[in-house]
Formats: sequence, structure tokens, C-alpha cells
Amino acid sequence: MKKILMPVVMVAVLAIIPYVGVEFLKLDYLFGVVIPYTATALFIAGFLYRIADWLIRPVPFRIPTTAGQEKSLDWIKRNRFESPYHAWEAVARVLSEVLLFRSLFRNTRAELHKDASLAYASDKWLWLGGLAFHWSLLVIVLRHTRFFFVMVPGFADFLDHADSFFDVTLPAFYISDALALGAITFLTARRFFDAKVRMISLPTDYFPLFLIGGIVLAGILMRYVVRLNIMPVKDHMLQLMHFGFDPPGQIGTLFYVHLFLISVLLVYFPLSKLMHMGAIFLSPTRNLCNNSREKRHVNPWNSDIRFRTYSEYEDEFREKMKKAGLPVEKQ
Amino acid sequence: MRIKRNILFIAIPALLVFAVIGFLLQSGNAVETPGAPPPPVAVDSTKCIAQTEYMRSNHMKVLNEWRHSSVREGNRVYTAHNGSRFQKSLNTCLGCHSNKLFCFNCHMYANVKPKCWNCHLSPMETP
Repeated sequence: MKKILMPVVMVAVLAIIPYVGVEFLKLDYLFGVVIPYTATALFIAGFLYRIADWLIRPVPFRIPTTAGQEKSLDWIKRNRFESPYHAWEAVARVLSEVLLFRSLFRNTRAELHKDASLAYASDKWLWLGGLAFHWSLLVIVLRHTRFFFVMVPGFADFLDHADSFFDVTLPAFYISDALALGAITFLTARRFFDAKVRMISLPTDYFPLFLIGGIVLAGILMRYVVRLNIMPVKDHMLQLMHFGFDPPGQIGTLFYVHLFLISVLLVYFPLSKLMHMGAIFLSPTRNLCNNSREKRHVNPWNSDIRFRTYSEYEDEFREKMKKAGLPVEKQ
Repeated sequence: MRIKRNILFIAIPALLVFAVIGFLLQSGNAVETPGAPPPPVAVDSTKCIAQTEYMRSNHMKVLNEWRHSSVREGNRVYTAHNGSRFQKSLNTCLGCHSNKLFCFNCHMYANVKPKCWNCHLSPMETP
């Protein structure tokens, strides 16, 4: 219970800080300019540091996973994408993981039945929930480009149009808002109600879920319930994009809650499991070709071993071997 | 076969529930279609209907309520907080805010594109 309550309290306190700061202490400048800049700088530096740190680690050996038949003899049918041989096949495997969550699609669930028999079955809910969550977050982030650029890029226009396709309510209801909220609720509830997952869940699993949930909730409230004047928001975002340091205009407090929680997320990002965003591209079981039957991979930091071959041995002892009547290969 | 029957067990009651809900909703809405539209009330369109600050962030809410109540309930008169009465119409707004770019300036800037002009005549299209 404590491991769930602690993150809840932390996110609640984090949401109250900017509210008190802006509403009562008038610290617009701190929460609108100083903290976002600092958080973004820390995010970029931390992210690059973590990725660089992983990139310079040597990965000497292939790590074949047993998901597909490796390329060997011509008459053995191989699985091109589950066990790639060429680089482009490995790229396809990484992309199928990043874009479609291939590994989660394999997820199975073990159940103990009443007659004490253990049954395994395919379980696609985690895959579906994860896919809905990540894709809707991506769409939401891309949609936000309309706040950051004077000329909004075409894809953002298209996404905006497709996302508000149902055209109900005013401002138009976004499908991705409902999907993100529904999916994060499901993913959190799964951790509460599935005993096995509850056992292995840690505060570091709950905290980002609640934090992102808080950000989404603040955003949804700003759009549909507590409406804010959007003009000063865009003014301020544009000037942040141009590295300006002017104080923000008159913006509602909820905006600062939203922005501060995002700043917290940015700072927390490189320190946490959220780094899977960059790390997924570096996972050795996905991005290495399984060609260890074709190529010899030598560990680069092995010390040189002095081998003595038979021909060298024979060279040294040939005369003695001949005298002893032993057969030699070279006369 | 077993799965198919299960689906039927779920699908048929679900369809029934939807049908019943739909019927109840629609029967509640069975308003007698009004004949001629009521004559326009003498209205005052020279003042603002609310504070500028409120309108900046809530104009879409007001317009949405106007659309709903005037089109579906036939109530075309809006009584503001200070008691003045307004005709619920875009023309009420655009009568004073007659700058052709009144809507577009901000909406272009924030890249917000509501579908008002799918039906209504946009100020840009009027001479």
C-alpha cells in the first residue's frame, strides 16, 4: 500500500507547488521561464549522457533469441525478421519493436485452474493497452507543436484534424485524450489488481504513471473544463522557443501546474525507467544480426593467447621423433 | 461453436439495451416541430454580452450553448447577467466586432480551426 500511496502523495505535492507558487507568491517567472529552461537543459544533457554511456559499452557477442530460425543451410527455412541476418532485417526487427511492440504481442498469461492444472494462454491486453497509451501520447505531443511554431507543420494539422474527427463538443473532442486517459487507467489498474504484477511493482513504476496521468488530466481540464485564454500561452511558448527571457503574460494557474509537472517529468526522465524511450533502440537482443553461425565474433578485450600449433611442435621435435620412429607429417 | 454462442449471448442483450436507451432518448426529444420561426425579439446588440476576459477563454462555450438552445429548443433570446437581452446569432457578435479578421487573427495564430464556417457564412466571404 505504501508503495502506491507514496507516489500519489508525491505527484499531489508536485502539483500543489506551482499552484501555491503562482496563485499566492506570484512566481510566474520562476515557473514559466526558469524551471522549464532548466528542466529542458537537464533532460537533453541527461538523455545524451545515458545514451552515450550505453553506446560506448562494447557488445562483443550476438545474443540470439529463440524467436525464429537462424540462417544456416539453404534447405532450412529461416525466419527473416525474427532472426535477422542482414542489417536491414535487424532494422525492421527494431522498428517492429518500437512501433508495434512485437515482444509484448508474445505475452502469455499463466493461470492455475481449480483442478490444480496450470494453463498458459495468449494475453494481448498489455500489448493493446501499451500500444494505445504510447501512440496516443505521441499524437498528443505532436499535436502540441501548434503551440511551439508560428507556422504549424503540416503533419500536426493533419493529426489535429484526424484526432478531432468525431467533431463533438466545443473545443472539439480529441480521441487521443480519451485513449491516453483510458489506457493509463487500465495500465495502472492492472498493477493494482493482478497479484503477480502487484508483487513486482515498485514506486518507480507507479510514480511515472501518476505523473503522466496528472499531466494528461491537467491538459484535459484546461481544454474542456477550466478554459484558459490560449493567446498568452502561445506567446509565451513561442518566445521560449526563441530563447527569450521575457516574463509570461496573464495565464491561468492550471497552465503552470501542467508545465511544472512536465518539467518534473523531463528532469526525472534520464534518471528513470522512462529511458526505455532511447534504450529500446540499443537493446542487443533486437538490434544485432543473428549471424554467429556465419561469422566468428571475437571478444575484443580477450588477452592474446599464445597458441602452439601441431606444425610448430613438429618443427621443434622432428629429428627426435624420426629417431624414435614416430610418424611425421613433413619430412 | 461455443465461442459463437457466447458472443450471441452478449451481443443480443447489448443491442437490446442500446435500442431501449435510444428509444428513451428519442422519445424524450419528440418535440412538436415549430411552424413559422418566432419573430425576432427586439434586442440590444450594442453592448458586450460579458467581460472581455471571460469571453477570451469561454466564447466557444457560449456559442455552443447558443447553438444548442436556439437550434434544438428554439430559444433565440439570451439574457446576460446584467439583464440586457441579445439575439442568439453570430450576427449579434459580428455586428459590433465588425473587423473582418476579428475571429481569424487569434484563430490563425493559435491554429484552432473550428467548423463554424462549414455552415455559416464567414466574415471573409461577405462583401
